[in-house]
Formats: sequence, structure tokens, C-alpha cells
Amino acid sequence: MTFDVELVFSSIPKMLVGLGLTLELLFLSSFIGLVLAIITLLMRISGRWFLVAPAVVYIYIFRGTPILVQIFVIYYGLPQFEFIRDSVVWPFFREPFWCCILALSLNAGAYVSEILRGGVLGVDKGLLEAASALGISKFHRFIYITSPIAIRLSLPAYSNDIISMTKATALASTVTLLDMTGVARTLVAQTFAPYEIFISVAIIYMVIAWLVQKGFGLAERRMSRHLKPTTG
Amino acid sequence: MSALAGWGDDYFWGAMVVLRIFAISLVLSVIIGLIGSAMKLSGNRLAETIASAYTVVFRGTPELLVLLIVYFGAAVTLTAIAQSFDASIKFIDVPPFWAGAFAIALIVGAYMTETFRGAFLGVDPGLVEAARALGLSKFQTFMHVRIPQMWRLALPNFGNHMLSLMKDTALISVIGVEEIVFVAEMATTVTLKPFTMYIVVALIYLCITSVITLVVMALEKYANRHLAASR
Repeated sequence: MTFDVELVFSSIPKMLVGLGLTLELLFLSSFIGLVLAIITLLMRISGRWFLVAPAVVYIYIFRGTPILVQIFVIYYGLPQFEFIRDSVVWPFFREPFWCCILALSLNAGAYVSEILRGGVLGVDKGLLEAASALGISKFHRFIYITSPIAIRLSLPAYSNDIISMTKATALASTVTLLDMTGVARTLVAQTFAPYEIFISVAIIYMVIAWLVQKGFGLAERRMSRHLKPTTG
Repeated sequence: MSALAGWGDDYFWGAMVVLRIFAISLVLSVIIGLIGSAMKLSGNRLAETIASAYTVVFRGTPELLVLLIVYFGAAVTLTAIAQSFDASIKFIDVPPFWAGAFAIALIVGAYMTETFRGAFLGVDPGLVEAARALGLSKFQTFMHVRIPQMWRLALPNFGNHMLSLMKDTALISVIGVEEIVFVAEMATTVTLKPFTMYIVVALIYLCITSVITLVVMALEKYANRHLAASR
């Protein structure tokens, strides 16, 4: 058994095509996920039971089930219903790509809203009291005081979540999509060289994870620059 | 249970497979986590490097990919080894159950390593010094002071890792283990009711993860009971 370096180099172009799809899945679903997360967060902290309850149920369901099962329910499951096959959304649910985007976004929305909630709860109460004493309205308090601090506090956890999202995009390969893992699985089926192909792909994933971590590390440092001890 | 059209018992046995994988991987990942965190805190450069490389690799690679590498990689490696003894052997099949359990344990073990490392660092050094001053051996200090103290700090993260471990078990259907996702696939081909069949899977997972959450909450209450009493 040898490690076929030639094979690795010859399959890199195919892997890069897969990388494109992986990044597309990652960016689209983390963006939609973030929007969903903010909506869910606002519902969650609104204090009105008819808004809090759906948000809690949504978070509970999507954090309690595997993403793979969510993808399967959406992609394989929904076509069971006649009214979905006949409706205008059918072209959307027929595509494995959009089903994956939907599942990953819903999943991200649930996790990220919890992360953001942690950030909001971590904001010093004294600041908000001071703001309301100064006559700043509730809306402005949220925009100018809670949000910037909450974002800074939730950045580390958010970067971890983006890394988990990157890893979750690999599940798209289970519904016939040729993302990076999908490409690798096809190549392995053709060549039966699992080590060479899977390890090269794993290295690309690790590079993405590393870039995400470094990027968010920089952002975090910049946002907390006022907290750094002054020199001298 | 008429909606399941007689697939109820298959789901039950599938769920048993999930729970077995969960139990085996959990035990393995705790062992890996303890060894990994001990290596990271050992002060030995080589051990630290190995443990760090391990956590970086397994936290940065998709779970599915790790599973595929372990399963197909083990098959290729074992076949090559067997062929060096007996050239007539064509292919060795690795039991997917064990490949799956081992792969999941490796993934979650990397997270456990980080959690345990943080928790060991959080143990008050004064307690350890006091134990040593009282004449407890290093091993006794580890078992009676470090572990019970670390455990309390590690619990919240440990609970989260248990949940992700449970959810990772869904992946092993990909390598053909007959667990509940696999049962749902089979049932779908017969009943042509994919939504019903996969929703059942989701509900089973939801039940199991809820139980895990409740157990972790109870454990946390138990671990911090000395704090509750003082209030």
C-alpha cells in the first residue's frame, strides 16, 4: 500500500469544483441562518408568550435532531405530500441544493440565535439602566448599546458555529450533491484510494476552518481593542 | 402505531443500535479525552504536539469525512496487511458498526480533550497542593481531588458533547449500519411515505436528546449541590 501523490495532484481540479459548491452552501446558509437567528432572537427576548413559544419550539426541534435527518425530511420527505408537489414551491424543493440550504439555514438559525441570546444576556445591566436614565428609548438602547456589546461577546461562539457549518455542508453529499465531500466520494468509488482523496479533502476543510478562526480572531481583537491594557 | 405500517419493531431495534453506538463511543471518547488532556498538560513537548495535532485535525474535519476515512481506510489497510500474509485474500470487510463507533469516538474525543483540559486547569491549585501536603500520592490526588473537581467544571460542555455525539450517530447509516435512518430508508422504499418515516426518526432523536439534556441538568444539580446548600 502506497500513498499515491500523483493521484492527489490529478484530482485537485475536481476537488476545487466541489470546493466552489461547498463555499456556496456555506455562505448562503450562514447568511440566511443569521437572518433567521436575529428574528428568532428578537422573538425570544420580546417577552410575549406567543412570540417566545414558537421561537423556543423551533430552537428545541432543530437543536435536538441531527442535520442529516433534517435534510432527509426536507428532501426525501416533503414530496410525499401532493399539495407540495402541486404548489409553486415545488421547483425549489425538487432541488437537493435548495433543500440543503434550507436545512442548514434553519439549523444555523437555531444555534446562532442561542449564541446571540448568550451575548445579549451578557450585556452589563448597569449600562442599560444608565441609558434609560438618560432617556434613551428602548429601541435605541437595543441598537446602540445592547447590539454592539452582544455582537462582541458572541463572536467567539459564532466563529465556532461557522466552523461547524462548514463541516455540516459535507452532509450535502448524502443527497447526491457534488460538494467537496461528494466529489471525494465519487473519486474514491472510481479509484478506491480512500486515504489519498479523503485526506486531501480533509486538509482543504481544515484550511477553511483555520481561515475562519483567524478571521474571527482578528475581528474580535479589533472589537475589543478598547479593553486592551494601555502600554506604559 | 398504524402509521408505521408494521415498521415499529424495526425502529425499536434501530434505536437500540443507536443507543449501543452512543454508549460505546461515549466511553471511548471520555477515555480519549482524559488521555488527550493529560498529554496536553503533561509539559512534555512531544506529547503536547501530538495531542494538539489530534484536536486540530479532528475538530476541523467534517464528521462524515472522518467516518468515511476510518471505514474505507481501515478496509484498505487491513486488506493490504492480510494480502502480505496471504495473497489470495481479495478484500476484508470491516464491521461498519465498530468503524462507526470508533470514528465518532475519535471526533468527540477531540472535543472532550479540550473540555477536560480547560476543566483540569480550572481546579484550584491550592486543593492539589493541600492534598499533596497531606501525603496523598500523585495518583490518589488525581483520583480523589482532580477528577471530582474537574468533573464539575466540565459538565456543561460535556453535556453538549454528549448531544453532538448522539446526533453524529445518524451519520453511520451512510456506511450501512442498520440504525434508524437506515430503517427509514428501507421503510420508505416499501411504504412510499418518506415524510412519515423520517419524521419518526427525528422524533426518536428528539426524545433521546431531551432525555440526555434532563440527565445532564440533574447531574449538574448534583455536582453543585454544595453550592446550593450555602445559599
